[in-house]
Amino acid sequence: MGKNKVKTSDIHILNLAKLIFGPQAILYKKEDLLAYDCDGFTIERHLPRAVVFPTNTEEVSKIVKYCAENHLPFLARGAGTGLSGGAIPLNNEIIISLVRMKRLLEVDLENRFAVVEPGFVNLKLTNSISDKGYYYAPDPSSQYACTIGGNVAENAGGAHCLKYGVTTNHILGLEVVLPNGDIIEIGRNGIPDSPGYDLLGLLTGSEGTLGIVTKITVRILKNPEAKQTVLAYFDNIEDGSQAVSDIISSGIVPAALEMMDKTAIEGVEAAAFPVGHPKDIEAVLLIEVDGIAAGIDDQIELILAVCRRRNVREVKVARDEAERGRWWANRKTGFGAMGAISPDYLVQDGVIPRSKLPEVLARIHKISEESGLRIANIFHAGDGNLHPLVLFDSRIPGETEKAIQAGSACLKVCADVGGSITGEHGVGIEKKEEMRFVFNEEEIKAQTDIRNVFNPDCLLNAGKLFPTPGRCAEVKRELASKS
Amino acid sequence: MVATEPIANLTAIIAEEQLEAGGFNDHLLGNNGRITVFPKTEQEIASILKYANEHEMKVNIMGGGTKRGFGGIEESADILLVLEKYKGVIEHSPGDMMVTVKAGTTFQELQNFLAEDEQKIPLDPPLPEASTIGGVIAANDFGPKRLGYGSARDMVIGLRIVYPDGTIIRSGGKTVKNVAGYDMNKLFIGSMGTLGVITDITIKLRPIPKYESVILLSFQDGNLQDIHTFIIHLLDSVMEPTALELLNPALAKKLTGKSAFTIAISFEDVESSVRYQVDYVKQNIVHSANSSILEQSDARNFWDAFANIPPNGHKADSGNETKAALKIGVKNVDVLQIVKESQLLEDSHHLKVEAHGGLGTGLCKVHLAGASDDVVSAIQSLRTITENIGGYAVVTHLPLELRQKIEVWGEKPAHFFLLDGIKAKVDPKRILNNGRFVGGI
Repeated sequence: MGKNKVKTSDIHILNLAKLIFGPQAILYKKEDLLAYDCDGFTIERHLPRAVVFPTNTEEVSKIVKYCAENHLPFLARGAGTGLSGGAIPLNNEIIISLVRMKRLLEVDLENRFAVVEPGFVNLKLTNSISDKGYYYAPDPSSQYACTIGGNVAENAGGAHCLKYGVTTNHILGLEVVLPNGDIIEIGRNGIPDSPGYDLLGLLTGSEGTLGIVTKITVRILKNPEAKQTVLAYFDNIEDGSQAVSDIISSGIVPAALEMMDKTAIEGVEAAAFPVGHPKDIEAVLLIEVDGIAAGIDDQIELILAVCRRRNVREVKVARDEAERGRWWANRKTGFGAMGAISPDYLVQDGVIPRSKLPEVLARIHKISEESGLRIANIFHAGDGNLHPLVLFDSRIPGETEKAIQAGSACLKVCADVGGSITGEHGVGIEKKEEMRFVFNEEEIKAQTDIRNVFNPDCLLNAGKLFPTPGRCAEVKRELASKS
Repeated sequence: MVATEPIANLTAIIAEEQLEAGGFNDHLLGNNGRITVFPKTEQEIASILKYANEHEMKVNIMGGGTKRGFGGIEESADILLVLEKYKGVIEHSPGDMMVTVKAGTTFQELQNFLAEDEQKIPLDPPLPEASTIGGVIAANDFGPKRLGYGSARDMVIGLRIVYPDGTIIRSGGKTVKNVAGYDMNKLFIGSMGTLGVITDITIKLRPIPKYESVILLSFQDGNLQDIHTFIIHLLDSVMEPTALELLNPALAKKLTGKSAFTIAISFEDVESSVRYQVDYVKQNIVHSANSSILEQSDARNFWDAFANIPPNGHKADSGNETKAALKIGVKNVDVLQIVKESQLLEDSHHLKVEAHGGLGTGLCKVHLAGASDDVVSAIQSLRTITENIGGYAVVTHLPLELRQKIEVWGEKPAHFFLLDGIKAKVDPKRILNNGRFVGGI
């Protein structure tokens, strides 16, 4: 029995409290639950029924079994940094917080893998192995806080996935608690291609709708011998966009190729990590090349030549690690930096074929003019992943709705040019209607069919990812019976 | 079920010259069809499947036929759907570094086409001239350069799939990043055609490297401890080999003329970087090894020859020998043990053995030839050894008669109900490549 002193008339909360150990392993009072009514997507808020903090897989399994047997909706949550609302309890869920399952279980340098619990923070993994010259590649901007379990749920990306791929390319094994409470293990000992359908690939990025990941085997990489980072300033956004395509076409695979436009530069320069970008330029590129030192200079020369051909105003190569670090801090805190120039902002996450960059930026500019809202662009230009940041003031009536519409219009543009509505933030609640921009009914059904194999009663994270008619019938019934 | 009349009715949906009675029907590797169909369009593929599904006819899918000996326990299905006429590049956008191609295009044709723009699909599967891109993706095939570039799941960004009921489904798209909905691409890659017919494939490309070299290190005295020491050192260095493949003596003899355990190390980058890495290896070689270096076209020729060593299911195996191939997955460093154990089968089982394994990927391929009983016993022996060290062994080529006796995929995993659940949802009548996959899916 747990040591939790729980005073409530809710029998399920009393029963759940008995399934888990440790102090404060369950939260159920309204004032405690308020912190869990949303994640990084703050526009929609709902209170959970309770939040439980298991410390091991067996506890997760017991909680899930209890929920399944009693038809209680539930969902898993990591650090709550997700940007699309995947951890918001739409159906008064029991939230299973995995932040206490945060151990680094194993590091096998010879075989290049590490095993972590889902609550282990992304950046801590690199920090734990960097003294031996290794790192974990996926680096979402929130990596100082976000958990690897959350990264798996969202298939998180980051600035360096241009060369190294996103989370799914680095997952070698998972232990998963299925929605019925069963524990399964996929991929053993960090060995790839275990026989069967690629459930690792399917679960990664399933936004917590197929199972709860309780153990993760990830690939770790050796640090590259050398890195060089370049800043290039352009007076014309078209030139900047063309430079991106030219660099990629020249046969270089940069580790990162980031871009910010004028409004974004205004934001990052007004915020906590300014680096002195000129205020009057239209675009800045942040380009990083890594690999064998002997080959880097040639690649940097090529990049500089491409930028000059595209009328760059100024290019500079980072002199040392400290300068490189400042440039990256300036970029990685870019979203939050918008707070310095706008009371509120909404982050979008479209992806497009790289060659459509100039066209799409022009159309986003038009959306900004028509809506009367400023839109800053910070993006992973190398892989065509745009992050339009719609700046607005929620105190002005109607402006929040206007911002949401502008964000959705940006996604429509991405879909229209053959792109997609999300590159790394996920669909969650935010973009489930926009799924129709890219998938027809049959394609959505093909996906919900798969969900029903894992999550037939749809108690796990219901109402996410798919447009409304694709929502689980069971939960709708459940909700209807309550109201 | 024998369905003569429905087969005759196929002429209503596809031109008669695209149908062939029997055809490949007498192939010793099985996976045949009583009638062979050669669709030219996606719509034809959809119509055929819809028709087959309505009439509960079984359909086998084939590209170049190189994997006919891979899975499947039936002599013949009702229909053999051959995609060799559904071929060609649909779209190549060099600036976006991606290509969309029809599944029946041979891997080599596609690679030649992309080479005109100094680009390539970063896969090096076996038998590229006969294998189709669709077959490579459906079987998740790969070669030694997987170490540097990853496998199909790392580069396929979009698919069009015809479901068993004829519905056409798109997964992924034409962007290198995409997390809209489930990552359905992953479901079809490696699914052995049991969920749908992959028609169009969109793949992320890489530039052809500006320079490449292969270092061959042969260990004449066969001291595996020396190899181990060297490998651990190299893997812990900042060198970036794109392949690090250990070859057993017979395979090394075939490819290099020297019968000794040999490591083939590939470097691909700008010339200055490749030369630096080659020098690094030379300076750090253990004294018992001899090295030779192949540059540029010599390096490419080496890997071309390497890609043509496995048994080709398209040709019926000749002679009295039974041929088998295995894919074995273990921890990286355990590749040494698997290649060594494979070598021992030469004497213990009187077999011809060609074995190689990626010391940075943990994936080995072993080819056996000899008397049927010896082959079967060797497979069982390798599987036991592999499973004892936490790995798996899949038989990727074997005559039909033996596939009916040996579980080529190994034991069902504990989560088999999920795999079977997926199959049951997507292909409830189990018409597609029935019994070709894990646990008889």
